[in-house]
Amino acid sequence: MTRTHMLLRSAAVAVLFAATAANAQVSIGHLADYSGATADVGVPFGQGAADAIAWVNQRGGVNKAKVNIDTVDYGYQVPRAVSQYKKWVGEKVAAILGWGTADTEALTGFVAQDQIPYISGSYAAALTDPTGQSNRAKPAPYNFFYGPSYSDALRGMLTWAAQDWKSKGKPGQAKFVHMGANHPYPNAPKEAGEAIAKELGFEVLPPVQFALTPGDYTAQCLTLKNSGANYAYLGNTAGSNISVLKACKTAGVDVQFLGNVWGMDENAAKAAGDAANGVVFPLRTAVTWSDEAPGMKTLREISKLSDPSNAAYRPVHYVAAVCTALYLKEAMDWAAKNGGVNGPNVKKGFYQKKDWVPAGMEGVCVPSTWTETDHRSTLTVNLYRIKVAGATEAPLNDLIKNGSIKLEKVTSIELPRKAEWQGW
Amino acid sequence: MAMQSLLPAGDFRTTYAADTVIFPTAAGRYAAIAVVALLCFAPLVLSQYWLSILIQIGYLAIAALGLNIMVGFTGQISIGHAAFFGLGAFTSAYLSAKLSVPVFFSIPLAALITAGVGLVFGLPAARLKGLYLVIATLAAQYILLDFFSRAEWFTGGVVPAIAQPFRIFGFTLRGDHRYFYVVLVYLVLSTILVTNLMRSRDGRALVAVRDHYLSAEIMGINLTKYRTLSFGLAAFYAGIGGALYAHYQEVVSNEGFTIDRSILFLAMVIIGGLGSVMGTLMGTIFMVLLPEVMEWVSALLRGGSIDQALALRNNIAFLREIAIGLVIVLFLVFEPDGLAHRWRRIKAYWKLYPFSY
Repeated sequence: MTRTHMLLRSAAVAVLFAATAANAQVSIGHLADYSGATADVGVPFGQGAADAIAWVNQRGGVNKAKVNIDTVDYGYQVPRAVSQYKKWVGEKVAAILGWGTADTEALTGFVAQDQIPYISGSYAAALTDPTGQSNRAKPAPYNFFYGPSYSDALRGMLTWAAQDWKSKGKPGQAKFVHMGANHPYPNAPKEAGEAIAKELGFEVLPPVQFALTPGDYTAQCLTLKNSGANYAYLGNTAGSNISVLKACKTAGVDVQFLGNVWGMDENAAKAAGDAANGVVFPLRTAVTWSDEAPGMKTLREISKLSDPSNAAYRPVHYVAAVCTALYLKEAMDWAAKNGGVNGPNVKKGFYQKKDWVPAGMEGVCVPSTWTETDHRSTLTVNLYRIKVAGATEAPLNDLIKNGSIKLEKVTSIELPRKAEWQGW
Repeated sequence: MAMQSLLPAGDFRTTYAADTVIFPTAAGRYAAIAVVALLCFAPLVLSQYWLSILIQIGYLAIAALGLNIMVGFTGQISIGHAAFFGLGAFTSAYLSAKLSVPVFFSIPLAALITAGVGLVFGLPAARLKGLYLVIATLAAQYILLDFFSRAEWFTGGVVPAIAQPFRIFGFTLRGDHRYFYVVLVYLVLSTILVTNLMRSRDGRALVAVRDHYLSAEIMGINLTKYRTLSFGLAAFYAGIGGALYAHYQEVVSNEGFTIDRSILFLAMVIIGGLGSVMGTLMGTIFMVLLPEVMEWVSALLRGGSIDQALALRNNIAFLREIAIGLVIVLFLVFEPDGLAHRWRRIKAYWKLYPFSY
């Protein structure tokens, strides 16, 4: 390479650096699971967040600069998440879109020390106490998430279940059982669920365990049948829940299954077929992809960025991810106007509004409120029921179009914001 | 000494002390001191990311040294090592947070408690050999993991256990730049202790148990005692490694102690070279850097011309996993005696050039 060539190249690089420096770039980190244990729900969620940020950049970005999003597939392995986090701290990211309970829990201490807001895909109630006032959880001042926590979602579902039992006119006590792996993520709402179940007059049966991997869970289904459970909470992700639903259908178990936000979606309904018929689960958003709302226009625009033909059906996780990313965007906008886009300002940016819905997402994102002492953004639990009619071999798009798979709204439970319910 | 020495022919020693010296040549001694001195300056030069990699290498190497005592020196296989690593982490977190024991003391105390538990699991395992022993250690892995999930008084259950940051004489050593020194001190101490163990009477007994247990028993070495002892020692170092991990993260969760990590420890010891302390260190460095290098390679590939040509997109993550496995397999095919052996061959090459032996 000749001397002049080298000089020209270094000059070009220098100009590039100068240009990027002048724009005061905003960087965020994005941990996604595209290939690991939770990839079945990680792919649509990661896609939604990435598309939303790309849409934000298309419209000018934050602080008149493009948002530099560094998406890393960490395969649900905590050490990779931690080392990636250290890299990002060195690059001075303004916030991190995190993912699972494993990495979120491992990083709570670090993000509080380094003052970087961490918006997770984990909705553990232990993350909702920024000051530690509840004495049930460690203070997590820099942890945020959009949607009801696992515990609040279960409280909402059990409130509905109590009404459902009464409206069906069934005599005596209903029996509730918590099912899940013996693992922080499924166990997160167990205590809260069993406590409120007792309060509502349920008989709480001993919890039933099944692993996070798909497998043969006939034994668990027979336990369910013999114990006479009426309502069963499935604490795992969609993959293993499908195995349980199918096994219980074969075993002829008559139970109302209650899912968690990661436990059921349209793809899972397709895979489980009519075993998934009737499962009730909470939604983080007010609508699904096939419903209509003013905000659906924005959502379809965002979806076009990775699906120009607009043919793909976006699962519930995609919609929730778009809401999550847009809340972060508006928090960063606020920070830009109030001292610069850095960690502590973005945190304050989350406290900017009460009953906040991002611009353009009316009717889609549930109004959320974060405060200095309470990171429970919403206590509204939207409950939907999966309805499956017939075979589910066709592509998901067609199944939704011809009504073979339907998500119909059951009800919306408004939980009281009790101080004693925070943190667990 | 078990290691091949590069001392010239005709060299002889006249005292036992001279025979059991750790560094046979002055160059080796100076090199080791120079490396430690250089590492002391690392936090001033390196970025937080590299410091966190070094800290990770540090606490994993200590645990791997423990496993090396069991696998390399005593010849017993264990796939339950991550459970003891986790036990050390949870114990130190519990002692420092719930019982307010200063972290300086909770780390060695947690290691002793983990050693005790290791001895308990070692007792039945000491009479088993080969595959049966492997299954017994697998039982240890699952029993301890289940205990962590259920014992909410100990591990916090759903809410992860909190570990206090390391404090000494009122200074809090938290953050990568400061905690690096804590890990460095423990690593140097552990290396010295393990190397010293191997030249002591008990260390020679362990090696004898590995090489020919029948002869060892005839000679008067109590097999059960030494097999159980190696379990206890392995658990002790795993406990130190785990405790350091706990006070680094300041939060301990169940998720990091599955059987995947046990196999990772085994890989570190085997790739490094069984029965070699230096090898274990090199093996740990290799296993920690391998995913990082692969991540760097896949980041380079992503969006590049090869990605477009083969339409890889998300599959790059899977290729990365395949590549990691392939590297390990190729390594074992071409270098079964591990990195330590390769390092010795390199040293011999330079020492003996232009002759081949």
